[in-house]
Amino acid sequence: MKIKQSMLLRVRIAFLFVFIFGAAIIYRIFDLQMLQGSKWRKVAAATSLQYRTIKATRGNIYSDNGSLLATSLPFYRVCMDPTIAKEELYKQSIDSLALMLSRFFGDRSKEEYKRRINDARRSKRQYLIVNRLQIGYQDKKKMEKWPLFREGKYKGGVIFEKVEKRFKPFSTLANRTVGYINESESGAGLEYSFNEQLRGKHGEALFRRVAGGSWQPVFGETEKRPVEGLDIFTTLDVNLQDVAESSLLRHLQYHNADRGCVVVMEVKTGHIKAMANLSRNAAGYYAESYNLAVGQHGLREPGSTFKLASMIALFEDTNIKLTDTVDTGNGIQRFYKEVIRDHKPGGYGKITIEEAFAKSSNIAVAKLVDAHFGLKPQRFMDYIRQMGLTEPLGFQLKGEGLPKFPPQQKWSGITLPWMAYGYGFEITPLQTLSFYNAVANDGKMMRPMLVSSIRRADKLEQEFLPQVMQEKICSAQTLESVRKMLEGVVEHGTANNIRNSHYPIAGKTGTAQTLENGRYAKKYYTSFVGYFPADRPKYSAIVVIDNPKGYNQYGSDVAAPVFKEIADKVYARDLEMHPPYYPVPMVEPGFPVVQSGYMPELFEISKQFGLAYKTPIAEDWVKAQIDSAAIDWKPRSTEVGRIPDVRGMTLRDALFLLENKGVEVRFTGHGRVLRQSQEPGSRALKGSYITLTLG
Amino acid sequence: MKKHDNFAIKIDWLLVVLYAVVVLLGWLNIYAAVYDESSGLSIFNPETNSGKQFIWIGISVVFIVLILLMDYNIFTIFPYFFYGLAIAMLVATLIFAREVNGARAWLEFGPIKFQASELAKLATALTLAKYINDYNVKFNKLKTYFISFGLLVVPIAFIALQPDPGTILVFSSFLIAFYREGMNPALIIIGIIAVAFFLLTLLVPKMLIIIGVFLTGFLVIGLAAKTVQRAFLVFMSMFIITGFVFSVDKIMTDVLKPHQQNRIKVLFNPNLDPQGVGWNVTQSKIAIGSGGLLGKGFLEGTQTKYDFVPEQSTDFIFCTIAEEHGWIGSFILVVIYMAILLRIIMISERQKFRFTRVYGYFVAGILFFHFMINMGMTIGLFPVIGIPLPFFSYGGSSLLSFTVLLFVLIKLDAHRNQIITR
Repeated sequence: MKIKQSMLLRVRIAFLFVFIFGAAIIYRIFDLQMLQGSKWRKVAAATSLQYRTIKATRGNIYSDNGSLLATSLPFYRVCMDPTIAKEELYKQSIDSLALMLSRFFGDRSKEEYKRRINDARRSKRQYLIVNRLQIGYQDKKKMEKWPLFREGKYKGGVIFEKVEKRFKPFSTLANRTVGYINESESGAGLEYSFNEQLRGKHGEALFRRVAGGSWQPVFGETEKRPVEGLDIFTTLDVNLQDVAESSLLRHLQYHNADRGCVVVMEVKTGHIKAMANLSRNAAGYYAESYNLAVGQHGLREPGSTFKLASMIALFEDTNIKLTDTVDTGNGIQRFYKEVIRDHKPGGYGKITIEEAFAKSSNIAVAKLVDAHFGLKPQRFMDYIRQMGLTEPLGFQLKGEGLPKFPPQQKWSGITLPWMAYGYGFEITPLQTLSFYNAVANDGKMMRPMLVSSIRRADKLEQEFLPQVMQEKICSAQTLESVRKMLEGVVEHGTANNIRNSHYPIAGKTGTAQTLENGRYAKKYYTSFVGYFPADRPKYSAIVVIDNPKGYNQYGSDVAAPVFKEIADKVYARDLEMHPPYYPVPMVEPGFPVVQSGYMPELFEISKQFGLAYKTPIAEDWVKAQIDSAAIDWKPRSTEVGRIPDVRGMTLRDALFLLENKGVEVRFTGHGRVLRQSQEPGSRALKGSYITLTLG
Repeated sequence: MKKHDNFAIKIDWLLVVLYAVVVLLGWLNIYAAVYDESSGLSIFNPETNSGKQFIWIGISVVFIVLILLMDYNIFTIFPYFFYGLAIAMLVATLIFAREVNGARAWLEFGPIKFQASELAKLATALTLAKYINDYNVKFNKLKTYFISFGLLVVPIAFIALQPDPGTILVFSSFLIAFYREGMNPALIIIGIIAVAFFLLTLLVPKMLIIIGVFLTGFLVIGLAAKTVQRAFLVFMSMFIITGFVFSVDKIMTDVLKPHQQNRIKVLFNPNLDPQGVGWNVTQSKIAIGSGGLLGKGFLEGTQTKYDFVPEQSTDFIFCTIAEEHGWIGSFILVVIYMAILLRIIMISERQKFRFTRVYGYFVAGILFFHFMINMGMTIGLFPVIGIPLPFFSYGGSSLLSFTVLLFVLIKLDAHRNQIITR
């Protein structure tokens, strides 16, 4: 009996223990929440206030004609402070608002939305995320007309919270050149190099932490407004870029190559019109992952394309002529312990210098350079320096690969002959191109340029004018010789596979063996660099395809066809390269020329001179065309913000139209406008220059 | 057929319902604890803690069904086998487990992670129940003490090597069942006195304590000691206490690690290191304190979300309830837990089979200790010891082991009439 009682007591103690502890907890929570509640709530409020940055809108990146390459699109999150609206307004709007929200988002019923907002209003919550879905700008515009929301932030209580997303309208086009930037402000390409300008200045404001991990701004005077980022205008031509990229991709795939790049440059200005870089990734696809044309990993031994520099040095320092002969022997030439070979088995024998260059004889150039500069290698290097090949380009993209030449004290007997045909040092494709571009530009070396101006909306903030790096890389006489040689390469040399009857191309192939772990492997770095049209160079370009596989591994077979494809497209598109098409067809020579101009005036002239004309159209600006022996009027577009087509107009008309667009006009010659330097239809940028050629 | 019907009726549905309510509330609060409105992830999304917990709830249901369908004899006949298995896994844990936060507690089999100490709780409870079930076992024999404490100490020793102080504390809850079965309460009383003096030493100067002890001691001898033996006993304990008080510093510095010492110190002085050791508890108090009577509403808590309260979905899950549902919500949760504990004690007491009764007390003890330590920690009554709130905290391993622990009892209880007729 005693045991039973004892057990009962023990059970009761156990019960009691649980009770006491439960009560203790409940009391303690009561203590914390009620008795000390206000203290803890204060602490909580203090810890949930914070200064947070308001991000500035990032600037846009544009192509040469004002197409958007990268922009920041705003998205919005719909939030509201349901306590702001006055009772009467709130009552009459809430039903229709809830209905519209329910219809728009489709996730909750009308009643649910109404209840959510009502509950928040009743419990005096000043911040409610109506829906976490991010809406676009157009939807926001629509929503701003909805009941209650149309009263705005201070009467209706609606808050549209902006979230920005970077958007590239052309998707992966020029991906690496446009580049990217991540949260930690590291990145690549223009986004990275011009981050300072694009980023703008972030603002700052006081925010309060609210449920769901969001921050609600606390309005006050402490707010520091953000300064929006600047826009970057590049020299890139979207169409050319597209041609370059697709052509490179096709050939990389065809040759199963590791990587490749294409750069197209405008001869006169050094403006880069296209810059494509494709590398094969681990998954076997080609993607723009590294800027081989510019970056440090793009540094390579250039191979035969460098023979041009050797030839220039020779022409400058000696009096050799293109017709002089050089003995290349049986295709094997010994320099000390090493051997230089020519591509053709058995060698080229005795050939002229022009032929040696066209056939890309390694022996010829090595022998010539060794003979002339063997005792004064310093002089050879002086010429290389004069051609701007030893110094960095000061390119606008960060991370430019710096040329690597061996220091003079480390030179051996074979350094010079090897250097003569492009081995023993490293430069980037962009450097090779700039050099060739100088040859095309009558010896004037331009700094390659990717960004032409920085603007805030239409206001010019900073302009980058074409810059001359070397006024003259060589004498005019030398220039004439080397240009003839470069044309010879396509006419009858290694690249005669890209010869065509429409327009002449000048250039040089290159096939360099790849140095791997100190040994030259059976891998080739093929390239073609040149300019076109050879007689009136407008564009220069370089094509590099690294490690093509299969039977064709030479620059002529692999890289040159890409160059040709791009040049063909450019030629077909670029009216300036088709001289026969100018001037615009005109009416009956001898009569007052009626080509293009102000409709009432042209009409008056036609009437006065008794020319046959068709019924005038209701346009201010027209161009004339002959249609069955009478003048027909075609409207000439003068779209807002676009460069008009002023070809065929008098200077007076052209000036009127162009200056109205805010463009500064420069002109040469007399008569009517033959050519205009900015294409019709491209974006009219205030303060930009347009050059008119009259004739 | 008839047997089956009987079985269905004998299940203690009240306990099952209470269990389901707590699990469901826990799941909702895990969602609330890590809720991020802009992520838009649903409560079922397996990338979130709540989604994972949902999967574990499903797995737990499978185990419940299996346990209820199994022959209950498995639990009464094979405990020693489970015990051996658990010890083997504890040893394996010490050998194979990777060290995480200074402890080797988790066995990993590919993607499955498992804490052997969870199995050890169940196995030790069943084994001790089987041992005590023996008619000859009575808590007035020294042999009983030796064997039962021996069975208890072996897993504790291995867990101490991991080390996992929280689980060791939970094992000490087994004494409650021993006490119910007739163990001399002196052991528990001595333990409580030791803890009390330990804490007192940290608060009050030592000399003061010793003077107090001696004064009380002589007072007791003078007034209440009727025999010489008793006077001697009191006299002896005075000296033992004095020795203990002086060795507290040594225990503090030698046995406890610095972070454990700080966790105890911070209890008495929350401002000791508000950015460091005191951080957890202070943030937890802010979260609870800012809840008020009714709380901020479901998913509206601000302190528990993001990084204010650490371990919001595991050890400090109670903060979410207190912040979002206020005092009322906390009260209801505490009442539900107490209901579960009392129901388990009631179930234990209605057993005629000693095995089930002892096991029931073990379950009650384990749950109570978890409940007590976890709640005490969140509201700043106990030092921070990372153990989960049963059925409520995020974590598959803990949910599953508590579920199995509870439903083995429910299964045994369902057969209470059959077992006694054996």
